[in-house]
Amino acid sequence: MKPERAVKLQRKSHYWLASFTAMGSPCELLTEESDESLAQKLLHSVSYEAWRIEDKFSRYLRGNIVDRINRSHGVALTVDDETANLLDFAQTLHELSEGRFDITSGVLREAWTFDGSDNVPSRRQVKALVDRIGWDKVCWHRPRLLLRAGMQIDFGGIGKEYAVDRAATIAADISPASSLVNFGGDLVVTRPPSENGGWRIGIETPGIDARQAGRLIRLQRGALATSGDENRYLLKDGVRYGHILDPRTGWPVPSVPRSVTVAADSCTQAGMLTTLAMLKGADAEEFLAEQGVQHWVLR
Amino acid sequence: MKKSDNCCVSAALATATCALLGTGPHGAVQAQEEHAWEFDSALLYYGEDKGRVQDISLNVLARRNFLDDKVLSLGLAVDTLTGSTPLGATPLDGPQTVTSPSGKKTYSMPPNEIPLDPSFLDTRVAFTASWEQPFARLNTLNAGISFSDEYDYTHAGVNLTLSRDFNKRNTTASLGLSAARDDWSPVGGTPDPLSPMLDVGDLSNRGPDDSKDIFDVVLGVTQVFSRNLVGQLNYSYSNSSGYLNDPYKILSVVDPVTGDPIPPTPPSGIEGPSHIYLFEGRPDDRTKHSLYGKLKYYLSGKVLDVSYRYMTDDWEIDSHTLDARLRFPLSDRSYLEPHLRYYTQTHADFYRVSLVNGEPLPQYASADYRLGEFDAITAGIKYGWQSRSGHDLSVRLEYYMQDGDAPAEQIVGRQADQDLYPDLDAIIFQFSYSFGL
Repeated sequence: MKPERAVKLQRKSHYWLASFTAMGSPCELLTEESDESLAQKLLHSVSYEAWRIEDKFSRYLRGNIVDRINRSHGVALTVDDETANLLDFAQTLHELSEGRFDITSGVLREAWTFDGSDNVPSRRQVKALVDRIGWDKVCWHRPRLLLRAGMQIDFGGIGKEYAVDRAATIAADISPASSLVNFGGDLVVTRPPSENGGWRIGIETPGIDARQAGRLIRLQRGALATSGDENRYLLKDGVRYGHILDPRTGWPVPSVPRSVTVAADSCTQAGMLTTLAMLKGADAEEFLAEQGVQHWVLR
Repeated sequence: MKKSDNCCVSAALATATCALLGTGPHGAVQAQEEHAWEFDSALLYYGEDKGRVQDISLNVLARRNFLDDKVLSLGLAVDTLTGSTPLGATPLDGPQTVTSPSGKKTYSMPPNEIPLDPSFLDTRVAFTASWEQPFARLNTLNAGISFSDEYDYTHAGVNLTLSRDFNKRNTTASLGLSAARDDWSPVGGTPDPLSPMLDVGDLSNRGPDDSKDIFDVVLGVTQVFSRNLVGQLNYSYSNSSGYLNDPYKILSVVDPVTGDPIPPTPPSGIEGPSHIYLFEGRPDDRTKHSLYGKLKYYLSGKVLDVSYRYMTDDWEIDSHTLDARLRFPLSDRSYLEPHLRYYTQTHADFYRVSLVNGEPLPQYASADYRLGEFDAITAGIKYGWQSRSGHDLSVRLEYYMQDGDAPAEQIVGRQADQDLYPDLDAIIFQFSYSFGL
C-alpha cells in the first residue's frame, strides 16, 4: 500500500514551506517565491517529480522497470532513456569506486538485517550471495540490459539524490526565486537567496537528539548530502557490524564514519561522494580531502 | 597511483552527473559552516617612535548563533598603555620643570624637545554585550551595552540599532541610537580649566571628579547594486557635553616678543614649575556631524573596498578620511590585502600653540596636538589564510605617519626655531585568529 500522498503548504516569515512524503523520507520545498499561486505550482511540480521517480524506480513496487529487470531471469530487456542514463551512471560509479559501489549488491539484504541483534550471517551464506553480485557480470549495451538469473539491481543509492536534482531543475525553471529542495536531508538550493548569508541548514548528528542540530551550514547555492551510520548494526561477541557493506566481500566496511556530509554543485555529486567516502571506511577523510570538496566527517 | 585515482573521482563524477541530468549544475556550490559559537581574537601592538605611546591589546569577541537568527555577542578587551605623551607645553632651549599630575613631585624635561609626560601608564579593561534578533519579518533589532574601566576613567554606554530591509532585501535602512556616560577621576583631582599649574603640595585649583555625556544617532542605508557591487551611506550625529578636557594637558604662557615660556615672578621658593603653565580649557559641548560612504566591489575573487568620511564639528575641526583596501587571493585558502588610508583635519578654533603673556586670556584654549592641524597616512598589508580545519588567521603590519603644523599666525619670536607640533610615526602589528566551535 502506498503511503498517503498529501501535500501541505505553509507561509513562514519570508518563505513558503511545503511538505510531503516520498521515497520513505520527509520531503520539503522552501521557496522565497512570494506569489502564492507560483508557490503552489512549485510544490505540485516538485512533489509530482519525486513521486514519479519513486514509482518508476522503487524496488518495492511491482511492474515498474526495476521490477521487470529483476524478474527478467536472464532475458535481455530494452530500457528507456532515463533508466539507461541511470545505468550508465551506475556503471561509471562502479569503475570509479573500484567495485565498492555496485547497484547489484541489494541481494545482501537476504542475509543481513541490521536490527541491533547478534544475527550475523555465516561465511558460507555471504559467499553464496557475493556470487550473485557484480556489475562486471552484467551485460549492458545501451539500451539493452541482460541480468543473470538470481541477480538484482537497486537504484536506492542514487535515486533520492537524482530526484532532488531533477526537482530543483524543475523548480528553477518555474520560479526565479531561491528555492531549497530537501528530500530526507539531501538537498539543493537553486539560487542564492535574498536573505543574507544563504539558507541555514542544520545537520543532525546520528544518535544525538535531533533538536540539537550538530552543525549549521549556510548554503547560498548548490547541494549538501549526508550519509550516516544511522545506528543500524549487529553486535556479536563484542564486534560491531555496521550496515555499510562492501559488495566485493559481502561484509561490513570496517571503521565507517558515523556521518559524512559533502557540499557539491549538485546533489547527485554530493551524495555519491558521501557514499564513496563511507565505503572507504578508515580512509574516508583522506578520500574527501583529495576530492577538494567541502566536507564534514563525524567519527 | 592510488592517490591519483582518487583525485580523478570528483572530476569524472561531475561529467557523469551532467550526462545523467542532461544539464549542468545551477552554479558552483557556495556553502559555509556556521558554528554555534564563533570566536574572533586579536592581539594588537601599536608602538609610536621616540619612546612615546606603546599599546598592547588583546581583544576577544564571542558570538553565539541561535537557530532562529538570534545572536548573542560578548566582547572583552584588555589594553596596556605605556610611554609618554606630549603635554602641550612648547619646547625651549633650556630645561623645563613641571609639577606631576598628582601634585606631589616635579620632573624636568631636556632642552629643545617637545615636553612629554613620562608618567603615562595605564591598563584598560573593556566589556561589551549585545543581543540581535529579527522581528516582524523584515526587521532586525540589536541592543547592547558597553563598559570600560581604567584607573582614572570609566565608561558606561547603551546602544540600540533598528534595521529594516526593503526592495527584495536589496536595501537595508538602519537607525542607531547610543548614549554613554564617561567619568573622569584624574590623579590629584580635576584641574580648573585655564588655571595655572601650582607648586608641589598645592591642590587648591583641583576640583572633584567630573563627567561627560555622549549621545549619538546614526542613520544608514546599505544598497546591493548588483552581484558585484554593494554600497553604504551613513550620516551620524554626535553630541558630547560636560567635562571634555584632558586633565593632564597644559599650555605654556610665552613672552610676546621672544616666544619663550615665562618663569614665575617672584620665584616662590617651593619646589614647583619652572615656567608658567595653564591647564587647558575646552568648551563643555561639542556637536559633530559626519557623512560616510563606502563601496565594495567584487571582481573575480578580488575585493576592492573604498570608503570616504567627512566630519565637521562646532569646534571648527573638519576632517576627511579616504580609505582603500584591495584583497586578492593567493590561493583557495589565502589572500593578501594592501591598505592605504589618508586623513587630514583642520585645527579646533581654540587650538593654541601657546598663550601670550599680556594678551587677554581666551575663553577656551588647548595645545593638545590631537586638536591641531595635521595629515596622516597609514600604509600597510595584511596576509590572511585559512587552516584546513576552517580557522581563519591573519597578520597585519601597518605604518602610520602623522605630520602636523602649528598655525603660522600663532608662532611667536624664537618659537619659529622650534619643532612645535609633535609629529609621530607608529608601527601597528596585529595577529588575528578566528575559529568556531
